Amino acid sequence: MKKILTSLIALAFAAAALPASAETVVIVSAKNPASRMFSEQAAQFFLGKSTMFTPIDQAEGSAIRNDFYKKVTDKDAGQVKAIWSKLVFTGKATAEPKEYKSNADVKKAVADDPKAIGYIDKSAVDDTVKVILTLQ
Amino acid sequence: MKRKLLVASILGALSLAQAHAATLGNENLTISGFGTLAAAKSNTEDARFTRGNQREGTAGTNTFGLDSNLGLQATYTLSDKLSATTQVLSRKTTGNSFTTELAWAFVKYKVSDEVSVRVGRVVVPAFLISDYQNVGYANTMMRPPIEMYGQNIIENLDGADINWQHSFGDTNVTAQAVVGIARGKSFVPADHSEPRFQAPAGGFALSAEHGPVTLRFAHVQGKLKATDVKAINSLTNTLTSVGFGQLAQDISISEGKRMAFTSVGLLADWNNIVVQAEYGMRRAKEPVYLSESNAWYTMAGYRFGKILPYYAHAKYDGKGAAITAPAALARIPALNAGVKNLLAGGSQSSDLVGVRWDFAKSAALKVQVDRVKPGAKNGYLIDVTPAGVGKKVTVVAAGVDFVF
Repeated sequence: MKKILTSLIALAFAAAALPASAETVVIVSAKNPASRMFSEQAAQFFLGKSTMFTPIDQAEGSAIRNDFYKKVTDKDAGQVKAIWSKLVFTGKATAEPKEYKSNADVKKAVADDPKAIGYIDKSAVDDTVKVILTLQ
Repeated sequence: MKRKLLVASILGALSLAQAHAATLGNENLTISGFGTLAAAKSNTEDARFTRGNQREGTAGTNTFGLDSNLGLQATYTLSDKLSATTQVLSRKTTGNSFTTELAWAFVKYKVSDEVSVRVGRVVVPAFLISDYQNVGYANTMMRPPIEMYGQNIIENLDGADINWQHSFGDTNVTAQAVVGIARGKSFVPADHSEPRFQAPAGGFALSAEHGPVTLRFAHVQGKLKATDVKAINSLTNTLTSVGFGQLAQDISISEGKRMAFTSVGLLADWNNIVVQAEYGMRRAKEPVYLSESNAWYTMAGYRFGKILPYYAHAKYDGKGAAITAPAALARIPALNAGVKNLLAGGSQSSDLVGVRWDFAKSAALKVQVDRVKPGAKNGYLIDVTPAGVGKKVTVVAAGVDFVF
């Protein structure tokens, strides 16, 4: 009983702590001339509607990825998957966005490619990348 | 047996994909796939319900052939601008067993961020969902309504297309133009034959996407030629031999007849309300026995989290062929009746309800019940027995769509 209570309390704290610490930012390479972007614009790249920027994803099923798509595109992971399967299986897009397992890996992939766009936790930002949008 | 074959082909395809990935071990190569494994059964043996241009479908029988398919796609990226894509698709079409066809095979060159050109075998964008009509996972419904999608059986052609994508403020506009030669087989219900056809064709599609709404317009024309449609050939030979050479020429498609197809479509996904609607018109630009027709459907659904129940109504209205038989033909009643029947249009409507459940990552379960109401000439139902004429048909289908 006590254990349950303890874990419930822990869970409540974790849930409360999560939104405060997890502020997600959309980044491009420091070499990219873009300086700011609306979330509607960012959504275009992550839903394959524009190929001007190359989207870089976080790991499938990760909290940051689900949260990003919910906030920026108002779609859940399944809906986004269906949209990309339409694009990929018609040859309109060659592949779904490449995914990387951590903030550091996403940051590195974005930093290395002047056309890339990604999203990471704000705490992982350094001067190799530029923040162009902060998700509310 | 057929089930075993499908499973074997899926396994074969998977191991092939792995083998490729392993041998090439190259990040420039992307292999992906899609498929549907679904069973279907109708409630009567007196009529056969099929997809467009399909032989088997279901006539009171359990079948995996109505909706099951498997697609495999490989894309090799040569550079930022250049890539090559092939897609093979296994399914049941005009024959009795599963066959594998080369659905797409093209080289794509990205001219700029907004323009790309593809050369090879590419899609003919006649319909709202032409691009992904075989990808069950990308669709809400179990299958494209035959009332609409039966009007035009050309899915791809060998040639080239150009795509242009541009944002005007918040509105995304895509324009696509295609030209080439379509080839394939068409299923003729009258004698269960599957003659080849060929059609130099061209068309374009325009779509505008604004927030949750997409509007689309498309127009396609083709000069359809099939030299081996036995039922038509024997009729036109008879007509010619009894002095109706002009009528025979009007009916025939052995020389190639120009047909046009125009459609407007709407997709909306707003506040969990999902709508898909389309209106299409088939027209003959030259005299030909093929019927002109209008068709439409509307589907509406509501998404409760991962569960999406939907309802749709579809209607097909054949207007008949754009040919008037000469009055003198009435002198030969049997022939006259045959010609009249050939040139008349069919009609059909359907109501369907279904539910899609995104139960796992990259997979969705669907259950759909169609209630088909055949009109003139039994609509799209085939092999109709005298007892089945005018009788409604219920089709139940359930299965899983997946992508990998």
